[in-house]
Parts: sequence; C-alpha cells; structure tokens
Amino acid sequence: MEMLYHQFKRRVFGMAHRIVGANDAEEVAQEVFVRVFRGLANFRGDSALSTWIYRLTVNAALSHLARRGRRQEVSDENIPEQAATPEPERDPGLASRIEAAMNQLPAGYRAILVLHDVEGLSHEECAAILDCRVGTCKSQLHKARARMRELLGSIMVLAGDRR
Amino acid sequence: MSCESVREKLTAYLDGELEGERGSAVRGHLRGCDACRQIAADEAALRDGLRSLPPLDPPASLWAGVQSRLAAEEVKDAERPAWGRALTWLRPRALHIGFATVALGAAIVLLVMKLQRDDEQQVAVKPPIQVPVPEIASNNPEPPRAGQCNTTPSDDKDVSAAIAAEPAAITACYAQTVSELIEVAKEARGEWPADRQRDFDIELEALQEKVVRATDERPRQQAYRKMIRYLQRAVVRDDVALANLGGQQ
Repeated sequence: MEMLYHQFKRRVFGMAHRIVGANDAEEVAQEVFVRVFRGLANFRGDSALSTWIYRLTVNAALSHLARRGRRQEVSDENIPEQAATPEPERDPGLASRIEAAMNQLPAGYRAILVLHDVEGLSHEECAAILDCRVGTCKSQLHKARARMRELLGSIMVLAGDRR
Repeated sequence: MSCESVREKLTAYLDGELEGERGSAVRGHLRGCDACRQIAADEAALRDGLRSLPPLDPPASLWAGVQSRLAAEEVKDAERPAWGRALTWLRPRALHIGFATVALGAAIVLLVMKLQRDDEQQVAVKPPIQVPVPEIASNNPEPPRAGQCNTTPSDDKDVSAAIAAEPAAITACYAQTVSELIEVAKEARGEWPADRQRDFDIELEALQEKVVRATDERPRQQAYRKMIRYLQRAVVRDDVALANLGGQQ
C-alpha cells in the first residue's frame, strides 16, 4: 500500500491542489488515498490503475468543491499579487500567474487543463477520467485555454514576444 | 479559411493533431494573419507554461493523515450493524446480482413452460391399452427372504414399510448371488490341485464366518460383497487376484 502511495502521491496531491486550492488539497488527497486503499479489492481492472486513481482524484476534488458550494473557491491569499510590469527578460512569476489564473477558472475547465496540459495525459485518458467523449474533452480544453488567455492577457503577449 | 475557423482549430493545431491539408490551411492562414498569429503565440506560450509548472510535493503529514483516516473508517465499519456491512458489500455487486436474478427467473420460466408443454403432449397421446394382469392376492406380504430380489413396492403398500425392508432385501440379493457363485465355484474346484482346493475352502469358510458374525445389515452386506469378489475371481481362476485377495483377508 505504501508503495502505491509513494507512486501516486505527487500526482494526486498536485491535481487536488490545482483543482481545489492549497488549503483543501491535503484533505482531498487523504480522501482519495482512503478510497483507493479501501476500493482496491473491488477494482475490476476495466481501466488502467492510474486512470482509476486520477478519476477518483478529480471526482473527489469536484465533489469537495460542490460540497463547499463555491465556484471560485480559492481565497485571495492563494492568488499571488501580480506584478504591475512583468519582466520581459526572465519571467519568474509566470508560473505563479498561470496558477492564479487557473484558480479563477470554472472547476471543469481547471480539471481538463490540469489533466491534459499540466499532467500531460492524452485526450483518451482525460475522457476516461472525466467520463466523457474525446470530442467533448477537446472542446472543453479549447474553451479552457481561451479563458486562460483572456485572464492572462498581456502576460501571454510578453511570453509570446520572447518566443 | 476565416479567422474564426482558424481560432477554433488552434488548440488541435498546436497539439499536433491536425494533419495534412487541414494543418496546412491553418499554417497558411497564420502566415498571413497577424491577429491569429498573436493568439497562436499566446496559446503556445500558455501551453508551454502549463507544461512546465513544477510538480507539487505533498506535505509529510499526508501519509499519517491517510493512515489515521483508514483506521477511523475501519473502526466505523466494525461498529456498523451486520446488515449495513452486507449492504456495502452488495452495492457494487448490485448489477451482477440483478443480471443473475433475471437469468435465473428466465430459466425458471422456460423450465415451467417446457414442463407444461410435456404435460400437454402426454395428454394428447392416447392412453396405453390396459392389459388385464392376473392379480396376485397377498394381503400379508412376507418379509424378503434370501433370493427374493424384487424389492419394488406396489402402489397400495405402505411406502415406509417398504423402505424399512429395503436393506434386508439387498442382503437377500447378495446371499442369492453368493449361493449361485458357490455352486459355480464348486464345479470349478474339482479341477484344481489339492493345495488350491484347501486354500479355497479355508478362505470361503472364513468369509462365511464373517457373514454369520455380522450383527447388522451393513457389515453383513460388506462381508457378502467381499465373498462375491473372491468367488468371482475364483470362478475365472484368476490365480494372482485370488492369491492377493486371500492374502488380504
């Protein structure tokens, strides 16, 4: 069990962190691992073990958000202050601004971004985890990225200029 | 290709999912359209930024928290009533149980239908011609004796009495078989050498003694069966088998 925990702890915690925010990530990750360990005996192997665990993670995170009844659940303290003028040469704050922008997305968009763009899972894996069709998954990703571009605005222009 | 159409395909294009002409069309449009090219650059930067986000290490307390919650869940399980645990066990299997129940129900329905059809066919068949059988009057049936192997109870007899009489009847059948085999063996015995005749007599006497000594039907039947096996081998002059069997007695 402990081996399984160590194998998946980063991804489970990372997904939970990026979907529910820093304050509740540990609680959600705990819940996921408890479900994994208690449900492992009944795991039928219909999907890959990792897919099953990520599905539990996303479901637990989304359920957690629903329970707390917040759509934009991340508190202000988790959004780092944005620099008035980003440094064009080396943009050390880009990652934190991306995280902050993600926190402003609806939970569904956040989930697909985390799965596909952050964790690097394929559309097929994302569709299996989110229990939707691959086409729906692609469409959601497109909308999520568009929303992110709107939120980040000029930061992306600067990043684009550096390229 | 319009700007709107290109922007809809940008995500797929940047992820390398547009091949052939569709990819070329988007690429061609981007070369000539500054606005779309800027959006594509933004989206590419966003995608790269998302992919390069650092992995997040869980706090050291996570594992302890998991263990603590697991322990709490197990205690909760133990405190739940048995029917609650049964429900928990049944819930994930509800689908299978449902299918099994439907399949069993269908099998029962098919069986009943088949039985009904068989009954109808039997009714449709003309009844057999009744052949008058001479009646054997026997108001007080005697218990089975040696050689009386017909143990089938007739319809007007008490079934429980017939069942009770059955072990004795089986013993009677064995006795009948043994007596027949002894007759045959005695004929064969005349051709055996003297020492073999002596062995046969000794063994047969020992076996008969076991039958006599048996106090119940079951050991008596066992003794009869041994004797039958011995005599069968003796009759076919299976020397090896006879010697072996004799050695075991």
